[in-house]
Amino acid sequence: MSTRSTTERIGEWFSGSLPSPTRGVRKLLSLVGFVAVWWLFYQFGVLNFEHFVSPWTTIVEFAGALAGQPLTEGGNTIYLHAAYSAVRVAVGVGIAAILAIPLGLVVGTSQRWESLVYPAFEALRPIPPIAWLPIAIIVLPAVAIGSVSIPLSALFVVFIGAFFPIYTNTIEGARNVESEYRRAAESLGASRTNVFRHIVLPATLPAIVTGLSLGVGLGWITVVAAELVTGGPGIGYIIIQASRLLNNQAVVIGMIGVGALGYASSALVVALGRWLTPWSET
Amino acid sequence: MEYVRRVEQSVSLLALLAIWAVGTMIVATDLSLPTPPQVATAFVEAATGSYFWGEVVRSTFRVYLSYVIAAVVAIPLGLLIGRSEIAEDLLFPSLEVLRPIPPIAWFPALTIILFNQENIVRFIIFLAAFFPILLNTIEGVQGIEAEYSQAASSLGASSSQSLRHVVLPGALPSIYTGLVNAMGLAWVSLVAAELLSSTGLGYYLWNAFVSNAYPDVIVAILVIGVLGYVSSALVRWLGARQLPWLQSETV
Amino acid sequence: MSEHDTNDERTDADERSTDRTDRPDSAGDEEVRSWTESSGTGTVNIQDLTKVYGTDGDELVAVDEMDLHIEAEEFVTVLGPSGCGKSTVMECVAGYLDPTEGEVLVNGEPVDGPDPSRGVVFQENRLFPWKTINENVRFGPQMRDSVDEGRIETLFDQMGLEGFEESYPHELSGGMQQRAELARLLANDPDIMLMDEPFSGLDAMTKELMQEKLLDVWEDDDRTVVFITHDVEEAILLADRVVVMTARPGQVKDVIDVDLDRPRDTNVVTSDRFNELQRRASESIHDEAERAMEQAEGRA
Repeated sequence: MSTRSTTERIGEWFSGSLPSPTRGVRKLLSLVGFVAVWWLFYQFGVLNFEHFVSPWTTIVEFAGALAGQPLTEGGNTIYLHAAYSAVRVAVGVGIAAILAIPLGLVVGTSQRWESLVYPAFEALRPIPPIAWLPIAIIVLPAVAIGSVSIPLSALFVVFIGAFFPIYTNTIEGARNVESEYRRAAESLGASRTNVFRHIVLPATLPAIVTGLSLGVGLGWITVVAAELVTGGPGIGYIIIQASRLLNNQAVVIGMIGVGALGYASSALVVALGRWLTPWSET
Repeated sequence: MEYVRRVEQSVSLLALLAIWAVGTMIVATDLSLPTPPQVATAFVEAATGSYFWGEVVRSTFRVYLSYVIAAVVAIPLGLLIGRSEIAEDLLFPSLEVLRPIPPIAWFPALTIILFNQENIVRFIIFLAAFFPILLNTIEGVQGIEAEYSQAASSLGASSSQSLRHVVLPGALPSIYTGLVNAMGLAWVSLVAAELLSSTGLGYYLWNAFVSNAYPDVIVAILVIGVLGYVSSALVRWLGARQLPWLQSETV
Repeated sequence: MSEHDTNDERTDADERSTDRTDRPDSAGDEEVRSWTESSGTGTVNIQDLTKVYGTDGDELVAVDEMDLHIEAEEFVTVLGPSGCGKSTVMECVAGYLDPTEGEVLVNGEPVDGPDPSRGVVFQENRLFPWKTINENVRFGPQMRDSVDEGRIETLFDQMGLEGFEESYPHELSGGMQQRAELARLLANDPDIMLMDEPFSGLDAMTKELMQEKLLDVWEDDDRTVVFITHDVEEAILLADRVVVMTARPGQVKDVIDVDLDRPRDTNVVTSDRFNELQRRASESIHDEAERAMEQAEGRA
């Protein structure tokens, strides 16, 4: 819910639909101030920042990384790491959506299914996704495609991370479909299947999109955590690997990279939401 | 009807247990996955020692401390940003630069800045809880219809009175949503951060895994799940208690 | 129109009777309607209808042994104070609720769930927000695979909705949304239109236009209309008969025959006869409104 509207607001800022000149200047000031504080901390060694990196070298190095420089010596480019993480998130969230949406719709609309399914999943839900990692490593072997070995454990953790937000939001959405719409459709001659297709499904879509948005956010959190532990390639892996190599510059570039990817994917979900719900008023 | 429902709900939970038991004891025996009896034994063993409880207390305390600090910082900040366009313009863009970075991705960078592992874990949990509370507070404030504020000021309320009697209670449901989400995310990040450190339940979990004490892994998972569940229930309970009281005060 | 005239000759005592022998010969009814478009007859017979909400200890009797017979093609308004159970009556006729006791017969058959022959307009606009106006209007026929393009087009024209086919409901004004909802209902060609305070959310001017629109539609097509309202003027303006309900538990308190000429428009409200009827209805409902208010305070 919050992710969506905030991202939209940001989108409006950058597209220039909102700001008057002064507002634009103030926002620019905010970003300049951010970099300035960083630089001052670095320059004067506040909070050990002198051991950190300067904003200027970060900009230069980030541009270099974007130009295709390997992030660590003899290592891979940022694009390869980003691609690995992005695929994990996309596949993990995709599978989560395919399972969570139908399940959520069934649980949200049928009392019997709710009684049978909901308690079991509620018992599993509070377990943080990362905590599943050891089990995933034991149970799921790495799959080798050609010379590349893909550990399924990281994928599984992403799947768990994305599954529950999508599942709970779908249930919530399906439960809250106002009964008058159902009644109106029934009085117009809609069968049960038609009520589901024409009423329940579209009425639940905004909640599903909210769930997807939260799911993608958690997908990035969990993919980074999983890669920190299970290895790479991947953007989470490069952050910890660079730190082991005492390459602070690469650590920061990895952080910026994962932030940018997270930001881009939530923008993508917003766009998907707009496309799926053209009737929404915002 | 109610009776049938209770039976079905019990079936649901028992089925979960049955799947676990059958899966580990009959189907996939070669994976050496911990069975329910093994886990029960491991739990009794762990629960009788003080080390395990020490880690439980440590992790719980970390979550609650960081969570409270996050709420204390994020709610006033959110009220300010939601109320004042100038504050929004000056603060929000910077915060938005930091927000998309997953809290756990801060870990290596924080080892340079904070050194102390305890503080690193606390800070990561703080980050995890901070942004959901902040965003929901801002959204709650901005979602209040301008008419309410106008009505309050035309009834003679000062700006601070309007904040106390209109803005805060009006934003409270949204703040509450943020607080609930934040508690869940705090536990997610706690586990991730502790995996990389050397104390707490997350470490306990990972240490058990690398030393092949699989039943202890499950014990840790279940305990973390219960703690997370109880923490969220606590936030919901407090919210349910506080919301009507604060709302009725404004009427 | 001859149908409606016959109602005026009946006495109040007859109206309240549920005895089937009081009804006009149903065979004759069939004959009159055989040439019309509507296939059903459209009589509504509410017999001993009781609806109790809640369970033991915490019961709320919304409607208590209510009897009402509505002729085919009759326009009946049900007038009552808020919370008197008039919506409950409508929901039982629509088939959303099962009566606790008694029954509702439509065309002599007990009501068993919602049916496209009984169209419903709700108090709040219930156009599907996720469908365009065009998709909303053709929803009913589409459900039965019987979309008549000519009819849809005529409805858009009749309701003044041309040019808004691809708009979503929230893009339309309140009055236009209400016209679209009426169009959606009419596209289904129901025998009976059940309307639960459909115009109560509209401003006075739009409301007046909608009332005239509804009268036009009804006079063209001859359908049974059961129209619920708490507005005395609206009740008399539209109806052949005004059924006044008591405060909860709802019962029929009074039935007023409206012998104003048809076709009517909103100018009729200035006539002496209208004022006379209005006074009578107001008097009848006044005590009930007071009682309803006391009930509401008692609950609070």
